[in-house]
Amino acid sequence: MRRLPRSFRLPALPPLASPWLAAAVVLAVSLAGCASRPPANDPDAVAEYNETNDPMEPTNRVFYAVNDGLDMVILRPLAVGYKYVVPAVVRSHTHNVLANLSMPVALFNDILSARPRRAGDSLMRLLVNSTVGVAGAFDVATGWGWPAHEADGGITLAMWGLPEGPFLFLPVLGPSSPRDAGGFAGDIAMDPLTWVGQGDVVSALGYTRYAMNAIDTRARVLDDLDKIKAQALDPYATIRSLYRQHRQSQIDDTRSDDRATVPAWFIQPQRP
Amino acid sequence: MPTRRFILLSATAGLAVMGLPPSPARAQSPDQATAFIEQTVTALAGTVNGPGSVADKQKKLQVIIDRTVDVDGVARFCLGRFWRSALPAQQKEYLDLFHRVLMLNITGKVGEYQGVSFEIGKASARDGGILVDSTVNRPGTPPSKVDWLVGTETGAPRIIDVIAEGTSLRLTQRSDYAAYLARNNNSVQALIDALRQQASQQG
Repeated sequence: MRRLPRSFRLPALPPLASPWLAAAVVLAVSLAGCASRPPANDPDAVAEYNETNDPMEPTNRVFYAVNDGLDMVILRPLAVGYKYVVPAVVRSHTHNVLANLSMPVALFNDILSARPRRAGDSLMRLLVNSTVGVAGAFDVATGWGWPAHEADGGITLAMWGLPEGPFLFLPVLGPSSPRDAGGFAGDIAMDPLTWVGQGDVVSALGYTRYAMNAIDTRARVLDDLDKIKAQALDPYATIRSLYRQHRQSQIDDTRSDDRATVPAWFIQPQRP
Repeated sequence: MPTRRFILLSATAGLAVMGLPPSPARAQSPDQATAFIEQTVTALAGTVNGPGSVADKQKKLQVIIDRTVDVDGVARFCLGRFWRSALPAQQKEYLDLFHRVLMLNITGKVGEYQGVSFEIGKASARDGGILVDSTVNRPGTPPSKVDWLVGTETGAPRIIDVIAEGTSLRLTQRSDYAAYLARNNNSVQALIDALRQQASQQG
């Protein structure tokens, strides 16, 4: 069966410059490269253009090409090496530690999305995995009834009703949208680890975390991305479509998660 | 008189039969769709996990896919609005190439799926068919969610879409082809040439 990427989330890495610089670059270049709208006498083409919602396609394709080049030269070899050198068990534990470090952000986003059970899951995962799970290396919380879920600023903004906006392919960050990029910036601002501590050691640890996030995420989607590049006639358009569908699926999952906040051992409320 | 009564009765019976609504041959219940998917994944898993060389398994998988997936329907969907503007010869060639490329993509990495198992979940009605949930378990990777959309436009139940972790196969493929066509002057021939190149590269 054809495998599509299991998770096509934004890798949680900072741009090589600050987020503000990235936003400025995008704004500047977006004024330069806009897609040409099809003529109004071709209603099918106009409908397709509107549905694709990618008015900055030329600019996005340039950034895609740049990203792809950087990926081929830097990130993919690192990910391949990581997968080759580091045993699967260690990689899995590393992923758990990194995920645990992102738990505070997930917790805040769950609260802001008005998902109380998810917020409870995030809080318990943070506490249990950090202590019993030895700084997050062992994911004990899932077995104890608090499963993992995805929560980030983009999903929160979607829950608040913000529309997606045109497709953006950001340098380094990859496929995104104004909503998701804003959410990502919000996540960095909300992350306590962004603000804690000063000095060289803290900075080094911070950059290590970002780098490890990038390599870890890239290693996890290694086969899937290779398959897309090999099988797609237009990898950019395929990635755009997959990103949007996956995002919508995440938002739908969050929206439909209305588990009761009454614990399982208590008498459950009767649904009317 | 008996003859007249007989004629009247049979005429009434005939009218009653004609007045009945047509039997819902096209409608399918979620249970039927679930049973169909269960059969399909059992056959798929059995082939992948069973004995034989990779080439044998690929041939068997192709037979199963031909039987259970509405490949032509998916192909027409993926071409979208350009199907009507294509010449009949182009349509035929496109269907043939789409079929070959799809088979190559699906059966290309048979070895990776050794030990695969499926768990079928619940079924729900969608516009276009019945969506059957399932979970795919592969040793060494976390379980992933795969949903199967079963339609009956061709009469028998057939798979018309596969949705892996929320992303639809045919929607993604349609976006890919639409973007390729937009960058090639909406020429279906260019798409056919590209597909032919893909089929020969991977075949």
